[in-house]
Amino acid sequence: MNFMNSRSLMQRSALLLALLVLSAWLFYIGKAHTLLIDTNAVTVDGREFKSAEAITVSVDGKTPEDMGRAERILVSVSGQEHTIAIEVVSGSSGERKIEKRFTVPTFMDAAIISIAAILGDAAREHWVTQFAEADREDAPAEQMQHEGDATLPTLPDAKALLPKP
Amino acid sequence: MTSRLRIFFIENAVVILFVVLIAFAIPVSGLPASFLLQEILTRLGRNTFLVIALLLPIMAGMGLNFGMVLGAMAGQLGLIFITDWGVVGLPGLLLAMIISLPISVFLGWLCGSIMNLAKGREMVTGFILAFFMNGLYMMVVLYAMGSIIPVFNPEMLLSRGYGVRNVVGLDGVRQCFDNLIPLKVAGLNIPVFSFLIIAAVSLFIVWFRKTKLGQDMRASGQDRAVSGAAGIPVEQTRIVAIVISTVLAGIGQIIFLQNLGTINTTSSHEQIGMFSIAALLIGGASVTRASIPNVIVGVILFHLLFLVSPMAGKNLIGSGMLGEYFRQFVSYGVIALALVLYEWKRATQEHASRATLRGGKPAASKGTGA
Repeated sequence: MNFMNSRSLMQRSALLLALLVLSAWLFYIGKAHTLLIDTNAVTVDGREFKSAEAITVSVDGKTPEDMGRAERILVSVSGQEHTIAIEVVSGSSGERKIEKRFTVPTFMDAAIISIAAILGDAAREHWVTQFAEADREDAPAEQMQHEGDATLPTLPDAKALLPKP
Repeated sequence: MTSRLRIFFIENAVVILFVVLIAFAIPVSGLPASFLLQEILTRLGRNTFLVIALLLPIMAGMGLNFGMVLGAMAGQLGLIFITDWGVVGLPGLLLAMIISLPISVFLGWLCGSIMNLAKGREMVTGFILAFFMNGLYMMVVLYAMGSIIPVFNPEMLLSRGYGVRNVVGLDGVRQCFDNLIPLKVAGLNIPVFSFLIIAAVSLFIVWFRKTKLGQDMRASGQDRAVSGAAGIPVEQTRIVAIVISTVLAGIGQIIFLQNLGTINTTSSHEQIGMFSIAALLIGGASVTRASIPNVIVGVILFHLLFLVSPMAGKNLIGSGMLGEYFRQFVSYGVIALALVLYEWKRATQEHASRATLRGGKPAASKGTGA
């Protein structure tokens, strides 16, 4: 009887363990990530990498998207392992097509994928970086600022513009 | 022959009534056949699993399991968790099912244990238990989530900082099962994978009936006292029937909601029991007897009526709302009708048994169909 009980207990424990392992695996392969494909220039160890003038990008075989310099597009994926196909349409190094694999950490909900780092053959750890809210303000810097654009007055200057009481 | 025909009409009174109603309502509604076919295919894939969840308790003599709402709550909790964790696609739905599993088993065990204390009044017990558990579910979803149970996605929470919002979008898992094996025949989208799941659970029910536990359930359903005397653990068997039904209801609710693509956090589960039971009864099942064909026929008839009644109401009287009221009337009315028919048959059967004991003419010969 005791043998039966312990056997039954073992079977139930094994089933429970199997369900837990299955749950962890499902979480691992099903976790959604938001990828921001970014063509802004990046500086790694003092060396600047720039994206090509015009490229088409496709993640995991999805419909390719055209991108220029200093742009970001959003792609939703699930799982850790992904493939990115970049076709350089116009750039200093001429036309070429590359396909690379990259990994997004499970608990990184939103990640920036640097096209410049991938095209420039930078170390893999610089391909994927965590997206932080602050990046939203930093991101369009290269895209938005043009020569001759009016710059906003800084806070002390703005105060100076206010009518004096 | 006349007696046989009479028995057939009495046995299938509900099905015949609905076939006649639908035959009248379809041309009046003016809806095209292709639309109706597509909708029926979608609704078969969406609702059949939930209705199948009702079969085992009927086999175990516990009547219509109004407590299936408990399983639906568990399924919804699974979906809320995977949405919060951002698990999408097929893995997300499977994970939601695994999460719902222990909750369904616990709630099913609780429901079965309480029903064992109220033998003979299982249906009303299940009905009230569903109301009671709805209060607990609301407490978990509207208070505990975000305050005691961590919720990582702030967009899912109410502005006060705890409690899940009234509507949760299931964009990540929307129609994942339905579109897993895409098939289009004559312009109709067929949810092949959902049908495969339904076929698998139907085969499970058929196989389960032949197992020792299945036979024990049937015996317990027919006569508790005799089954107990024969050494069948009646109470345990009844609990197992309710646990399986609750687990299937949880999975069924996940299949149902993935097709809709949104959860109404506080009310998606509430009508499920009533609509599933109504569909099963319209399919010709009774409180004591139900089969897979009853499920299929019931889902088709019930949802056909759901589809055509608003338009038929609008075309006949100029008000689409009449159809809406009619739908509600049909859902509750058919349950009432089935319960009345069941009680009538039971009373007739008892009368016949007494007459036989007295040496009189059995009532069965009068064609009651009991």
